[in-house]
This record gives sequence, C-alpha cells and structure tokens, in this order.
Amino acid sequence: MSVFGDSFLINPDLFPARRSGEAWGSREIALALPGGPYRFSGLNADQKAAVRERFGAYCGTDGLGTPAIESVLFRAAEADFRAIDVRGWEYALDLDATPEAVRLAGLRLVGRLDWRPRLAGALWTPDGGGAAFAGIFENFLRVLVAYRLHELGGAVLHCAAVASPRGARLFLGRSGAGKSTVSRLAQEHGAQVLSDDLNALRLKAGAVTVEKLPFTGDYGDPRTPSPAVPLAGLYRLEKDTVDALRPLSRAETVACLLACSPYVNADSHRRDELFSDLLLLAPAQKAWSLRFSLDGGFWPILG
Amino acid sequence: MHTDSQAAIDTATVLRPSRDIRYRRIDGEAVVVRQKAAEVLVMNEVAARLLDLADGRSSVGAWIDVLAGEYEVDRETLERDVLTFAAELAAEGMLEIADGV
Repeated sequence: MSVFGDSFLINPDLFPARRSGEAWGSREIALALPGGPYRFSGLNADQKAAVRERFGAYCGTDGLGTPAIESVLFRAAEADFRAIDVRGWEYALDLDATPEAVRLAGLRLVGRLDWRPRLAGALWTPDGGGAAFAGIFENFLRVLVAYRLHELGGAVLHCAAVASPRGARLFLGRSGAGKSTVSRLAQEHGAQVLSDDLNALRLKAGAVTVEKLPFTGDYGDPRTPSPAVPLAGLYRLEKDTVDALRPLSRAETVACLLACSPYVNADSHRRDELFSDLLLLAPAQKAWSLRFSLDGGFWPILG
Repeated sequence: MHTDSQAAIDTATVLRPSRDIRYRRIDGEAVVVRQKAAEVLVMNEVAARLLDLADGRSSVGAWIDVLAGEYEVDRETLERDVLTFAAELAAEGMLEIADGV
C-alpha cells in the first residue's frame, strides 16, 4: 500500500503539519473565480507576475480588502522533491483527506487545505516564478476551487462547457472521452467554448448554472472571465461512428456527475455530501448519453 | 468460471455490501462507488434491491422470502435467479460474505 506523498516527496513523513514556513515574499494577489475571491499572500514579484500572466483578467485587487479564501505561499527546498521523468507519464496529484484538512502532494509542490473553521490554503514550492511556477500554482488552485465550491453546494466538473443563447451545454467525460473534440466541433458550429476541461456547476437563485473556470485544455480562454450561464443540457460523451442521443435516468446522471467531480469524489469524508449536492444539481429531463462521430454530425441533434 | 464466492453462496449464506463500495438509491436504481477502483456504476432496480437486502444479518433464503412477496414468480425460479444474481454480485466485488455469521 502506497504512503501518501511518496511518489513526489523524499520524506513524506516531514509533510507540513500546519500552515507555516518561510514566505517567498510580501506580494499579494486576488483571483476572482467562482466561490472566491481567492487571495494569495507570500508571493515574490516573479511569482505574482507569473500568476498575472497565466490568469489575466481573473487577477485583480478586488479581493485584497474583502473577505476571501486565504492562502499563503511558502518556500520549499529543492531537495524535498523526487526527480521525476515525466515523459509519457500521466500526472495525478496525491491527495489525503480528513474531516479537518486535505493534504496534497505533486510535482514540486505540497499543499494543505485547512478548515479553521473557514477554508484556508497553503502552498509550498521551490519554484520562484515563471511558467513552471504558474503550473504549480494552477494545480493547487484547481483543488482549492473544487473544495470551495463543494463547500458551497456546487461542483467542479471534468467537462467541456459550450455556451449558446439557450444556455450552456456540458459535455462530460474523463480524459480521452472527447471533450476537446466536441469543443472543436462545437466551435466550428459557432458556439463559444467556456472551457474544454473543468467548469463549475452551482445553484444560483434557484437555477442550476454553469460557471467558466480558467482551467482549460486546448479550447477556451483561460485569461478572461465570463458570466454564469443557465444549464441547458448535460451530455455524457461516448465516442462512436454514429450520432445519437439517449435520455439518462436520474441515477445515471448523478453517477456521471460523480465520476466527473475531481478530487472531492475520491474524498471518503465528503462523498456523501457530494452525492446529495449532485442530486440537487442533476438536471431533470435535461441529461443525455451522447454518442458522437468525429464528423460533427451530432450538433444538429442536440436541438 | 466460478470463483470461491460463487461456489460458497447458498440460501444459508449471509451477505453484506462489500466494504469497498458505497451506494445510494435514486429512483429505484443504485449509484455505486467502488472506492479502490475509483469507479462509479449504476445498478438496475433488481440489483439495487439485493444490495438493500444484504444487510449482513439476513440469509439469502430470507431475501427470497421477502422477494416472493414482491414478484409474481414461482419460488423455484426465484431462488435460482437470486442465487445466481447474488453470486454474480459477489464475484464482481459488490457483495461479500458477512463476518462472524
């Protein structure tokens, strides 16, 4: 049985037990993402520039003076991390959850989410800036936002979200299911792709809404926020040689949402709550299994 | 191919949902999470009913008594179908023999 953090850390036993350490600097930045603002302190100038470069208009000063989800950035030693040959390697963060905290370990990062009782984060890394730091920051932020939205009764979903005047359609599936393919085909039909990787689903004012997240693969602008859009439909992707729709039962819909709720769905302490939230978010009469071919013929059958 | 779990199941066997799974009933069906495999499945109404009956106390024979009142099918057929289905669920790791019974 593998020990938490062992894949990434030389000494997993030395994982930080609390949010403390040596800050990289005195800079702060706030990101206006769903569930936020998310305020980070302890950055140096290069790290702040890297975050600004990566997240563009999501960054601002709005969260600096208001209640926010607080996270702190600390230095970690290079020697704490294993050297990993990433060629042909599929990256997955290592998470370890308890009712009070979530610990995460990854490539050149360790992090914590603590409920004190309010959610607060901490990120340790040996990277002082640049694109590599931006990637590390994003990996931490993905987990932070997923848990924050879970706290609010929402969910971050592995899906492509495509907006049209009728609302946003979600195409769900794990890696390889066809999210980017569907995004490309939808874009060719004139639809706007919010993100082809992760999007948020939340109840707002009694309606299930889709919110863009700046976590994209090949399609979607990760630097420009977009307003929340009502959910128009949910589609479970199945690559095929034909194009066809089949309504999903409520159980199938919830199962699909659960399978596509990264991080939180693997957390045994929060899965029951996630189940309940997804039951509220699962759209009645609006969920289908979509078998689709690569010629884009599926688009007209969505209606 | 028969596994040990399949071979061991008869009307006296007491089963419970596997420790690895968590499930929730939704409109008759069941959404099942296999935790180790990080897999989510949907089980039909009959399989979901067996998960409910597998409480770790009642024997498979007791399930058959309950189901005989719910389904219009002769007892012999019902017993054969339930034993087969229970064995399949056990072979797939959904059910396990209850400890200490």
